[in-house]
Amino acid sequence: MYYISITKEDWHRSLEKLLTSHDIFVPVKDEFSLDYEPFRLSQAENIAYNTPKPATPLKNFFLPVRENVTSVMSNGRQRIIIGAPNCDIEALKLLDEIYLDEAFTDPFYRNRRKSTLLVSSDCFSVNDHCHCTSYGVKPYTTEGADIALLSEGDYLFLRIISDKGEELIRQLSSAAGVNDPERLRFADQRHSETEALLAELNRGLPDYRATGEIVRKAGDNVWVKYASKCVSCGACTTICPTCSCFLLIDKPGFEKVKQMDACQYPGFERVAGGEDALFELPHRFRNRYMCKYVWRPQKFNSLACTGCGRCIEACLGRISKNELFMELT
Amino acid sequence: MASDNYNIYEPLRATLEEVIEESTLIKTFVLIPDEEFVFKTGQFIELAVDGVGEAPFTPSSSPLVSDRLEVTVMKTGYVTGIMHELKPGAVMGIRGPYGRGYPVSEFRGKEVLILGGGCGLAPIRSLLFTLEHMKDELEKVILCYGSKTPADCIYKPLFTRLNSIDKFEAYRTVDVTDDDWDGPVGVATALLDQVKVNIENSVAVVCGPPIMMKFGTIRLLEMGYRDEQIYLSMEKNMSCGLGKCGHCMMGEFFVCKDGPVFTYREIKHNPEIWK
Ligand SMILES: Cc1cc2nc3c(=O)[nH]c(=O)nc-3n(C[C@H](O)[C@H](O)[C@H](O)COP(=O)(O)OP(=O)(O)OC[C@H]3O[C@@H](n4cnc5c(N)ncnc54)[C@H](O)[C@@H]3O)c2cc1C
Ligand code: FES
Repeated sequence: MYYISITKEDWHRSLEKLLTSHDIFVPVKDEFSLDYEPFRLSQAENIAYNTPKPATPLKNFFLPVRENVTSVMSNGRQRIIIGAPNCDIEALKLLDEIYLDEAFTDPFYRNRRKSTLLVSSDCFSVNDHCHCTSYGVKPYTTEGADIALLSEGDYLFLRIISDKGEELIRQLSSAAGVNDPERLRFADQRHSETEALLAELNRGLPDYRATGEIVRKAGDNVWVKYASKCVSCGACTTICPTCSCFLLIDKPGFEKVKQMDACQYPGFERVAGGEDALFELPHRFRNRYMCKYVWRPQKFNSLACTGCGRCIEACLGRISKNELFMELT
Repeated sequence: MASDNYNIYEPLRATLEEVIEESTLIKTFVLIPDEEFVFKTGQFIELAVDGVGEAPFTPSSSPLVSDRLEVTVMKTGYVTGIMHELKPGAVMGIRGPYGRGYPVSEFRGKEVLILGGGCGLAPIRSLLFTLEHMKDELEKVILCYGSKTPADCIYKPLFTRLNSIDKFEAYRTVDVTDDDWDGPVGVATALLDQVKVNIENSVAVVCGPPIMMKFGTIRLLEMGYRDEQIYLSMEKNMSCGLGKCGHCMMGEFFVCKDGPVFTYREIKHNPEIWK
């Protein structure tokens, strides 16, 4: 891993050139929200680097809400996605375990992963519900993306993580290696500031390893209480960077449409004859916690919750999983 | 499979050659797949009615035959309802085979006790074909099967045939009797009381409705079977069959990929299994 620097102006001009061969997405802030938008040079001043966090989880670029999975597979245009926070980069690891599983590789997911270059963005501040560090996730990326980006004044510093990242950098004529470690001191400082903010914000929140035991031991009364404000809208799963359940829907001509689905919707586990293990709302509600903190950790090597906090922000019933964990600690 | 163009979601086409009426609610569909279709007994397929939907079924035919596939389907709802209307000549879609089947090689030298109920006889028939093929390597095969009424019992000729095979014994019971029935009445698990097995050198296979799976397992444990000697065929809602969509989660397992056959030992730590 090493750093290069480039002026923002040169970086944006280079992106403009890359548009002939790439689709490029950047995090853009307006008065209401921060989210990915297609890159346009004329809008460059609205790009919000190092700011948590795009409303859309990164998974949506790889797992569209709805897609025909019997259509002809195109390799698609190359893509560069800029601005994903590390919680989202970390979440891709679980999706990779599931969708790139050797026995049954999802070719649509694989092609999108292959044709995408990820430029993640170190977080220089925190949102109300960010808690990545409680789960062992850093607020900056050192693996899983191709490049990580830090903005400082008129400059961008790019941490080159992968070969693919290095290849892109070779195409940037005005990029220069950073030889003077003094110039990078701000990076360490920013990282520790963010980590300190997160530690302060999440004081007492149990770590990821402890969550499983807490969820397993929680009594029915806990689920009934928290589920009483749940309306099964599925916002928490839609917005979650690791939730990736889906339903295959048949269309004439033996076509199949794969549509994102969620255990929070009624009928998810209904079987023939009408039996439904998740019929009662508190059971459905509990299922999501069991999945994220007990079952997926038993089965997979990656985190099933990376502490992005989006589910808390998105909840119509204002249910906070962090409150639940604090109550049970 | 590793080919870049291989699409895990694409079904293989199969032509419906014959529809056999087994009972008022159960039909066997004889399918001729466009390509050779190889499966292990206990593995399942996703069978699609074009444009309507697909559902998981365990083939009921012999895994030794790869150009012809039989699937026995009970009419229980939307997709199976439309399936039952299909006529020979219809083209269907098959994905799979999926999941782990029965580890039949581990049954060598043993007595195999099979407890089945309702439509659970479909997958069991496929297992029986396999066991018949390897009968020289087995000590004994005992089938205990229960259906609701005599009319609900499928594959009736199968019982006569099984009883004529050396080392095979087949018993039947019904929950509710009618005039033509002179066999035992009661639940399938009650048949276990009359069979003679050397439990030490035996494995038990259970396949049937959830309630039978639960009480069958309890009964087998009482008889002295150890957790790892009991093979259960679990049924869950399924969509992809590929260990991805999440519909079939049973605790940490994807039933479609890690099962559908599990030993009781593998899953007993999980209170969700009987739900
Ligand atoms: C591994 C395995 C093996 C099996 N083997 C056999 C077998 O050999 N023989 C046999 O008879 N049965 C077998 N079953 C059971 C069989 O799969 C069910 O009976 C079948 O799925 C019922 O489908 P249905 O649409 O007719 O029933 P329904 O009750 O209508 O639906 C069942 C489930 O499918 C969902 N569903 C149905 N249609 C749609 C749709 N259009 N869109 C979204 N969701 C939908 C429902 O929500 C419900 O959860 C097996 C099941 C499993 C898991
Ligand atoms: S059926 Fe999709 S994961 Fe098992």
